[in-house]
Amino acid sequence: MSDESVLDELPGDLMIWVLIVSELLVFGAGLAAFLAVRITDPAGFAEAQDALHRTGAGVNTVVLVTSGALAAWALRLRESARRGAARLALVVAAALGVVFLWIKGAEYAAKAAQSITWDTHPFFTFYYLLTGFHAAHVVAGVLVLLLVAWKDAPRNIEAGAAFWHMVDLVWVLLFPVIYLLR
Amino acid sequence: MPADPLLRAWLWLIFLSFGSTLVSLWPWPPALAALAGGLVLGLAWLKARVILSRYLGLCDAPAWRRGFGISLALFCLLLLGLYLAPALA
Repeated sequence: MSDESVLDELPGDLMIWVLIVSELLVFGAGLAAFLAVRITDPAGFAEAQDALHRTGAGVNTVVLVTSGALAAWALRLRESARRGAARLALVVAAALGVVFLWIKGAEYAAKAAQSITWDTHPFFTFYYLLTGFHAAHVVAGVLVLLLVAWKDAPRNIEAGAAFWHMVDLVWVLLFPVIYLLR
Repeated sequence: MPADPLLRAWLWLIFLSFGSTLVSLWPWPPALAALAGGLVLGLAWLKARVILSRYLGLCDAPAWRRGFGISLALFCLLLLGLYLAPALA
C-alpha cells in the first residue's frame, strides 16, 4: 500500500499552505464584512471611496505582481545553481516591496492631510484595517525575502517566495474590492 | 506570447490588472453596474488563479488547483452578491 497522500501533491512545505489558507480566510472574512457593512450605506461608501487614489493602487498592483514574478524566478535560478542571480532577484523583489510600502505611505499621508482617519466613516475603518494589515504582511515579506536571500537554500527560498505570493494573492483580491467596486 | 510560463503569467497579471482598472474607470450606466462589478471580480479571480497556478506552482497539482479555483470562485460570487445587495433591496 502506498503512503502517497493528496497532500504530497502540494508544492513546498505543507505548513506554508496552512498559512496561505489561514490568511486567505482572515482577509476573505474582512472583505465580506466590508461589503456587508456597505449594504447599510452604499452612497456613503461610494463617496468615501472617491477619496482613494486608484491610480496609485493600480501602480502598486503592478509593483507587487512584478515582485512576485522575481521571487518565483529566484527559486528557479537557485534550483539551477545560479546562486548570485537568485539572490539578486530576491533583493530586487524585496526592493519592490519597499516601493509598494512607500506608495502606500504616500497614500496614508494624503489621507492624513485631508484629516481622514479610521473613524471618519466605516469605509475608512475597513480601509485602514485591511490595507494596514496587508502592509504589515508586506513588511514581514520584505524581511523574509532578505532573510532567504542570505540563507539561500532552495527550501528556504521556496518557503519565502510562497509567503510573498500569499501577500500578492491577498492584494489581488483586496485591491478590486476596496478600490474598484463602485 | 513568450514560451516561458513564468514570464507569460507575469504578462497576464499586468494585462488583467490594467483590465480591471479600466473597467472600474469606465463610465458605466447605473443599469450596467452589476456587469461592471462582475467583470472586476471575475478579473480578480483570474489573477488569483494565475498566482496560484504559476507563482505558487499549483499547475503541477491539478486537483488542488481545481479546489482553490472553485473555492475562490464561490468566494467571488459571495462578494458579488454582497456588492449587488443594495441594488436588489
